Amino acid sequence: MTAQDKDLQSCEQEPIRVPGAIQPHGGLFVLRSADMCVLQVSKNLSDYLGQSIALGAAPSGEIADLLPALSQWYASAQPFYFTVLEDRRLSLVAHRSGLLIVVEVEELGDQSLDDIFLGLRSFTQRLSSEAGLRGCLRAAAEFVHDLTGFDRVLVYRFDAEWNGQVIEEAGNGHLPSYRDLRFPSTDIPAQARALYASNRLRIIANANYIPVPVYPADNPDTGQPLDMSFAQLRSVSPVHLEYMRNMGTAASMSVSIMVGGRLWGLIACHSCDPHLVSYTVRETCDLAVQSLAMAIFGLERAEEAARRFALGQVTTVLLAGMSASSDWVEGLVAMEGALLSLVGAKGAVVVTEHVFRSIGETPVEAEVLSLIAWLETFAGQDLFATSELASLYPAASSFAATGSGVLAVRISELHANWLIWFRPELPRTVQWGGDPHKYVQESGRIHPRRSFDAWQEMVRMQSAPWQEAEQAAAHDLRTAIVGVVLRKAEELAELTRELQRSNKELEAFSYSVSHDLRAPFRHIVGFSQLLRDREVALDEKSQHYLQTISEAALAAGKLVDDLLNFSQLGRQVLMPKPVDMDKLVAEVIRSMRLAMEGRDIEWSVEPLPVAWGDATLLRQVWYNLIDNAVKYTAPRRPARISISGEVRGDRLLYRVKDNGVGFDMAYVSKLFGVFQRLQRAEDFDGTGIGLALSRRIVERHNGTIAAEGAVDGGACFTFVLPATERKDRAFA
Amino acid sequence: MPELRPILLVEDSPRDLELTLAALHKCQLANEIVIARDGAEAMEYLTSSGPHHTRSQGDPAVVLLDLKLPKMDGLEVLARVKTDDRLRHIPIVMLTSSREEQDLVRSYELGVNAFVVKPVEFTEFFKAIQDLGVFWALLNEPPPGSSRHAKS
Repeated sequence: MTAQDKDLQSCEQEPIRVPGAIQPHGGLFVLRSADMCVLQVSKNLSDYLGQSIALGAAPSGEIADLLPALSQWYASAQPFYFTVLEDRRLSLVAHRSGLLIVVEVEELGDQSLDDIFLGLRSFTQRLSSEAGLRGCLRAAAEFVHDLTGFDRVLVYRFDAEWNGQVIEEAGNGHLPSYRDLRFPSTDIPAQARALYASNRLRIIANANYIPVPVYPADNPDTGQPLDMSFAQLRSVSPVHLEYMRNMGTAASMSVSIMVGGRLWGLIACHSCDPHLVSYTVRETCDLAVQSLAMAIFGLERAEEAARRFALGQVTTVLLAGMSASSDWVEGLVAMEGALLSLVGAKGAVVVTEHVFRSIGETPVEAEVLSLIAWLETFAGQDLFATSELASLYPAASSFAATGSGVLAVRISELHANWLIWFRPELPRTVQWGGDPHKYVQESGRIHPRRSFDAWQEMVRMQSAPWQEAEQAAAHDLRTAIVGVVLRKAEELAELTRELQRSNKELEAFSYSVSHDLRAPFRHIVGFSQLLRDREVALDEKSQHYLQTISEAALAAGKLVDDLLNFSQLGRQVLMPKPVDMDKLVAEVIRSMRLAMEGRDIEWSVEPLPVAWGDATLLRQVWYNLIDNAVKYTAPRRPARISISGEVRGDRLLYRVKDNGVGFDMAYVSKLFGVFQRLQRAEDFDGTGIGLALSRRIVERHNGTIAAEGAVDGGACFTFVLPATERKDRAFA
Repeated sequence: MPELRPILLVEDSPRDLELTLAALHKCQLANEIVIARDGAEAMEYLTSSGPHHTRSQGDPAVVLLDLKLPKMDGLEVLARVKTDDRLRHIPIVMLTSSREEQDLVRSYELGVNAFVVKPVEFTEFFKAIQDLGVFWALLNEPPPGSSRHAKS
């Protein structure tokens, strides 16, 4: 806080409720409620009531006649007692102040009640026919102007920071127009605002008045000065009088506009010259302004309800989109228009631990991520809204064009998951009533501004403010997203549990198959062999039967092995490293020498590029492909098998080509299925699982495998692997 | 001439037992073949307890241990033998019906001396059993003093 701020705040501490004096346009006396004894009087009281009031005694004369009515009122709930002293042409108003009764008298005005009533009736009719806020305000300003005869009537509205802006005006041109000017919150300090909220109307008939002291200054019963919060004649702060003189006004009246219990604004009236309006007229103004306040309340409620309804519909649309999509982020950003219109933003981002998605005009990703890091420091706050981000977060000045306004909702407490809307900078000019940053210092004390000439200020790095309904809509959407995210997470967790369970079952199944199914085949083979060794005299047919039993069991055993091999491949951990494919192919061919005995095969093996992967598994691919080539070229003399490879961009390509029996391309899609055979079993042996296994291995290396062939025209198998380990994609 | 020590064959399946014995007999080993039908029985033999408290031979030349056994499975027997200071020197060959990665890894962690998948093909099976018998019973030299259980 600067020294200046301190001085200005000290002005907020002026004793405005207990000034100890009144304005001179009326008289005041104080009664003790218990015995109606006069305790305090204003020094000018005899000008109004003659000698009927004396300190230390009950009033006499016409005031004494009122005492029974006053007592009755004091016991009631009515806040004010009002009557007219016809003989003296005075109005008399009484109110309570603790155990005291404060009575004030003023001269009656010359306006007839009939005239006042007619004006009020036409005002209320006009008010009810106005559809918009602006029309209601204009009607009120004009009514007050006509009724009171002040030179200028302003409708003044407070913003969230209690700065005021003149939004409507009526006048006779004697005073300068203040339309659209703003006034800093310091013009009406907090304690004055509090008083305005409890006592809705005050008047200063002459800014140059000489205050009339109340005597004695302190209540003789309590020793306290008189609380004049609700007194009509209360003397006002000298600072305020100075302010009025600086504004060029000699008289003022203001009426509070209380909307929903909050000080919404003021009707402020000014005149160049001293100007007094009667109590009756003032009361009528208050009545009119409270009618206005009710109209404003209704209009704002209706507007808010309509806005909320519209936003609720947008939320519903967004929610439907999110639920329909498997990924809520995608569902949300797919409905770009609805997402932005929900809060009237120009851009939005959705950030989760996995994705960053932006739509419309937003700062760049790095800027948004830094902003989120800053937002994360506000622990426990789900919604954050500002229309001037740069003033809170200086780094935002670099992206003011897209992100001066930020409305952010946190989706997850655990992770940095945010939905953030952005509003662009809205450079605008504010018309202040004088430079609000400038104070005139005089003999060590700060005085209110002397100049009320319009002073322009350029406001930068601010967006249009986020409306309450928009923030509420953002909050509602957050709640909806959290619901969707939670539900999806639960579904996912359930699915994972299910998968884990079935995976466990599958593992247990394959484990028991591997042990229990393999053993009986081994027994069949073993015992038929033992039998053959023993029965040397078996005839040829019996020998053949035994042989067939052995072979069948062997084949079944091999099948179990292949199946297990295939199922284990999914669980096995890959050990990727550079693989010398030339060496693998040479080893595979060497290992088949036995199977190739008696065959006439012309080999053509070209140098192959080094691959990146699991050598054991890749050997199996080569084995299956070469074994197939050898097998299906059995009828050929000579058989031709060529093996080649090349680097193609970031892919490695390997090929095994033969001149064997080939296959019909119509069945190519079945070639890589488990247990798919395109040849009769008796022509070529094998379990039909080799190519399925090869495809699975290649795919686990993020590669592809394909085949081409023609019946009796040979076959060509090609598999493609990524050239290097790709960092963005782990081996599947 | 090395001292003839028995071979302990631990096998619950009667068919596997018969086939294994046939194979061992074929290679005409002079070693006695002691049979245990489950893990608990194998442990009793190895620790000279229960019905085996009077056994006279020294520690076996090798234990041919099936993985899947009633009462106490092969892995548990292996673990007990290899954590017992008096028994850990006894070679243990795990015999199993199939090559399960997890069994293989676990067996070596526990200190198995060899891990053999029983081949389906009979001649291969015979050859495997015979090789095992010949290697462990005849060729392998046990550490000195390992036959202290033998009664002189």
